[in-house]
Amino acid sequence: MMVRPKHQRLVLVTLAVAAVLGAVLLAMWGLQDRAAYFVTPSDIAAGKAEPDTAMRLGGMVVEGSLVRERDGVSIRFDVSDGKAVTPVAYRGITPDLFREGSGVVAEGRLQPSGLFVADHILAKHDERYMPPQMANEVAAR
Amino acid sequence: MNQWSFVIAAYAVVGLGVAGLLAFAFVTMRRAERAADAVRRRR
Amino acid sequence: MHGYANPARFLKIARPATGWLLGIGLVLLLAGVIGGLVFTPPDYLQGETVRILYIHVPSAWLGMAGWASIAAASISQIVWRHPLAAVAGRALAPAGATFAALCLATGSIWGRPTWGTWWEWDGRLTSMLILFFLYLGYIALASAERERGGEGRMAAIFGLVGAINLPIIHYSVLWWRTLHQGQSISVAGGSTIAPEILWPLPLTMLGFTAVFAAVSLMLMRADLARTKLEARLRRSAAE
Repeated sequence: MMVRPKHQRLVLVTLAVAAVLGAVLLAMWGLQDRAAYFVTPSDIAAGKAEPDTAMRLGGMVVEGSLVRERDGVSIRFDVSDGKAVTPVAYRGITPDLFREGSGVVAEGRLQPSGLFVADHILAKHDERYMPPQMANEVAAR
Repeated sequence: MNQWSFVIAAYAVVGLGVAGLLAFAFVTMRRAERAADAVRRRR
Repeated sequence: MHGYANPARFLKIARPATGWLLGIGLVLLLAGVIGGLVFTPPDYLQGETVRILYIHVPSAWLGMAGWASIAAASISQIVWRHPLAAVAGRALAPAGATFAALCLATGSIWGRPTWGTWWEWDGRLTSMLILFFLYLGYIALASAERERGGEGRMAAIFGLVGAINLPIIHYSVLWWRTLHQGQSISVAGGSTIAPEILWPLPLTMLGFTAVFAAVSLMLMRADLARTKLEARLRRSAAE
């Protein structure tokens, strides 16, 4: 039976796509740690984060941990990823959506003492969207 | 009210973008089809 | 497979379809936008800026669906040499590029009040920006190939290889920790968006998609008319 050129091209295209896909998936998998936008408190607890290098720390602001210093612009809070907790100090204006129990990404440096000194704070929104009344009902439950 | 300015800005950008795309596509189509018809009629 | 290979037969369907798609799309868009700006409640955290969702999500969808369509056209160009495939690829690119740009713009406008930044180099934002640049590259390559009278094979290969970016955009929020939130609506049917906020989204999704299809058909018709014109001019020059 003769192989029709149409089929030959189909096989070639399939093989090429599979090869490129495989290569890219491997690269992505290798990049996993480097491409992460932020580190977590667990990474810091595990010693994966180097002190005194610029990095971003991400997690949830622990409820009840937010303390405003007497100067009015400095704050301290704890960031948690459910497994470990990192204390953060920041001086400046926070975004509107920054609040306890919400996601946060802090840019700054980790001190050798374990305190993360942030020079920039971003609020991280999660994938839940709901009207205010409903949020109150959820909170009341 | 400040939030609304972001919302309005976003809708304005999309409105202008989509209107521009539609106008571009329509004018391109009109011109090409007119030109093709004109040549046919001339022959 | 080549049932609609004949441009005349394609045009017989494309001519009326253009107007219908455009009309239906604009009506759906009007309904969705009014619903999203007037009738839905604000979000408990984001407040009013949640309304950007109704235009941001369809832009992202069409930016990605546009390239998926280019990839499908590329396959039928490479494997079956379908005569309309290259035409379709060239026609899809400007619309896809526009929506990719609108996705980036609306995302940026939403990010400023929500995250506190216009732009961050996280996995999702960066891969979407790359998609936009891929569109620009594809447009340049495909139009250069058309001017040279080529079949569009280089553009087809580029369209196919560029499709690798689509799963990267989609899974970026799962593979890497990103500033961008995870997906709210999954194919499995789950949604973490409350129904009161969600309902205008299908309207704008369908509306933008119909407008996208109408624009693509217009550009395909323009391309075919240009080919016809060039053929006629060549013929009359030969006479």
